[in-house]
Amino acid sequence: MAHPILAGAPGEKHLLLGNEAIVRGALEAGINVVTCYPGTPSSEVPDTFHRLKDGSYYFEYSVNEKVAMEVAAGAALGGALTLVTMKHVGVNVAADPLLTMTYTGLPGGLVLLSADDPGCHSSQNEQDNRYYARLAGMPCFEPASAQEAKDMTREALLLARKTEQPVMLRTTTRVNHLRGPVAFDVRPEPAKIVDFNRDPRRFVPVPAVARVRHGELLKSLEAIREVAENSQWNVVRGEGKVGIIASGIARSYLSDVLAEQGWADKVSVLELGMSWPLPVKLIGDFLKSVEKVIVIEELEPILEKEVRAMVQEMGLNVPVFGKCEYLTVQGEYTTTSIQMALAGHLGANAASPVCFEGEEGLPVRPPNLCAGCSHRAVYYTVRQLFGDDAYYSSDIGCYTLGILPPLKMADFLFCMGSSVSSGCGFSRSSGKDVLAFIGDSTFFHSGITGLVNAVFNKHDVLLVVLDNGTTAMTGHQLNPGVDANVLGDACVHLDIESIVRGCGVSEVAKVKPFNLKATLKTFEEMKAKSGVRVIIAEEPCILYARRALKLNRPQTAYVAEQGPETDRVLNEFACPAFYRDEAGVQVDESLCSGCMVCMQISKNFKARKRSA
Amino acid sequence: MERIRIYMTGVGGQGTLTATTLLARTALDQGLDVVSGEIHGMAQRGGVVESTVLLGGWKSPKISHGEADIVLGFEPLETLRGLPYLAKGGSVISNTEPLPPVGVSCGRDTYPAMEHITERVKGCSAKCWFLPCRTLGLEAGSVQAGNIVLLGALCASGLLPFGPEALESAIRKYLKPTLVDMNLKAVALGVSKLAG
Repeated sequence: MAHPILAGAPGEKHLLLGNEAIVRGALEAGINVVTCYPGTPSSEVPDTFHRLKDGSYYFEYSVNEKVAMEVAAGAALGGALTLVTMKHVGVNVAADPLLTMTYTGLPGGLVLLSADDPGCHSSQNEQDNRYYARLAGMPCFEPASAQEAKDMTREALLLARKTEQPVMLRTTTRVNHLRGPVAFDVRPEPAKIVDFNRDPRRFVPVPAVARVRHGELLKSLEAIREVAENSQWNVVRGEGKVGIIASGIARSYLSDVLAEQGWADKVSVLELGMSWPLPVKLIGDFLKSVEKVIVIEELEPILEKEVRAMVQEMGLNVPVFGKCEYLTVQGEYTTTSIQMALAGHLGANAASPVCFEGEEGLPVRPPNLCAGCSHRAVYYTVRQLFGDDAYYSSDIGCYTLGILPPLKMADFLFCMGSSVSSGCGFSRSSGKDVLAFIGDSTFFHSGITGLVNAVFNKHDVLLVVLDNGTTAMTGHQLNPGVDANVLGDACVHLDIESIVRGCGVSEVAKVKPFNLKATLKTFEEMKAKSGVRVIIAEEPCILYARRALKLNRPQTAYVAEQGPETDRVLNEFACPAFYRDEAGVQVDESLCSGCMVCMQISKNFKARKRSA
Repeated sequence: MERIRIYMTGVGGQGTLTATTLLARTALDQGLDVVSGEIHGMAQRGGVVESTVLLGGWKSPKISHGEADIVLGFEPLETLRGLPYLAKGGSVISNTEPLPPVGVSCGRDTYPAMEHITERVKGCSAKCWFLPCRTLGLEAGSVQAGNIVLLGALCASGLLPFGPEALESAIRKYLKPTLVDMNLKAVALGVSKLAG
């Protein structure tokens, strides 16, 4: 039976993840093309498209967000209704084509999903991409529930096609990763491919064209402002004299607070689900109807500043409140923070409802490299050989978790693909030995350009490509390095070693990380050299090997002898399958993957057949 | 109906999210309004996984400190860590079998004593139950089934507007056929543990 997201009939209600709801919304618009680079919290959108592929749309995992954006823009120019997905920091990578494609416009229709991450649940920063909507000139939708995620995706795509204007669908982690009931509508045939009418005076933005097109963009946004003024997503509720303007998931938090505290009849609420272009008439009328206004939005005070400006322009005497002690620029909002912030304005008690304050000093449980992860074997080897004498330039991926003691294999990090280039800069200025680590997917994403630069400018860096054969951190997505048998007919496997050599690196070696002795020998040889050196450490991600490649290791490790040496392995290798009980150090068989690295470190560890 | 907020916490790899989705689907099949959320960004095994199921008309998928009517702890240390989420008069159902964090295994940290955890839980909850989920899961057929033992107990607790039968039909409907019998057994074990 076909999956409900593909085959579900109108009126059916299914429990969907916000990200799955986005997929259904795209299908209900008649999506033709989807491109992406995976990144939490966006990843389940492309993953669902990939899993469900039924021939009605083209899907690809692109090598980075800029490429995804360019392929998508080309597709939309060629007439396809197109969705391109990425996380918030991915939009930085894609910003270059993005800020010009809004000038040309895209006749097929293009929606950019930007999945922002207030609270940095899985990201290196918490930037607010509503700024990009304004910077690039894109209408912006901000869903707050699974149902809205579906409905707004469809509406955004249809608006993009109708106006030929790229549209942003801006979500946040809580929206991407919530589950709620979604009532389905009709899934039509795929959208008609729009004919491309050659028009260099529109689609080739040389300066003379760009000047004109900027004006066209502004006109187009002004026309779309009318859509926002009348949008079903921009609504006023209640008749109280205290006004609240809310956007994004904060709308849900607010709604729960008002219901829970019985405050609904004390306030008027303006919810902005389509938040750009700003519906100024709607907001203006709202401002005139209240005595004061409180703006509730996560991250930057963007709406707040706009409302303040409107109050000034309109010559109103309405105090505006926004960012404050409880509603900060940092992190996520909560029902509690909104309740505390509103209490003062409503003359209510702001007592916190907490009954247990929490306990200090509980053992932490940070995410860790898995038991049997080959990165741990590489890191162990590197630490044995280089210790704290070298500096470690890390990158974005599972291997960043090597930051934890005892491995401590990350001294600095900026963004996807930065390990090579930042490592070069660091070694140039500090004169220190630098090892840079990068994964296979990240290497294809934007590591290659850094490597080309390293060779060209004669930098001194040892780059370790931690090739686990998949994009592991985000959930095992395809990249050009993935095993040819897994890739399927639509893709071609690319060989990392050939690329590295093709970039002009002559000092290249390959290691199998689970062979500690040979790995150590290779690192020793490379340590003795200088210039750009690359070691490719090849071993499939243990979870991927089990799930996708159906590889299971028949053996498990056990501790044959206790003693200081066994303790040393526990403390220096720190595999999560190790634990300590009254008898000493033990190996949890259900966690041990049978990588056999611990028994190469010490004879106190031995292998045996797995119990049934 | 009364609106209920359930906060679930455990360790990556335990099946906490599978249990969360199953519970949300069970509720939806019972005609309840449901919203559920999860935080698992650094999707590695061994990190803390937190999730929520909210029944009866809530819009937000998030639960703040002091708001959970029920805390469901898939691992005892995480139950203790999750206690600030419990509302006054709320209930706790927890696994009693620890998964020690690496810091504890290496001797850098000390795992709190089980008596300490149960005492803290009793001190701030109206009702609480403790079950050896790993052992019961193994009895049902796999360590992984321990999460369903806990769900079975929750459904038998009388705290929800539906009982174990609703969970059983969801298991038949949504789990792979090969996993159904084992998980039905896990539900039964959770239910009987609560009765006994």
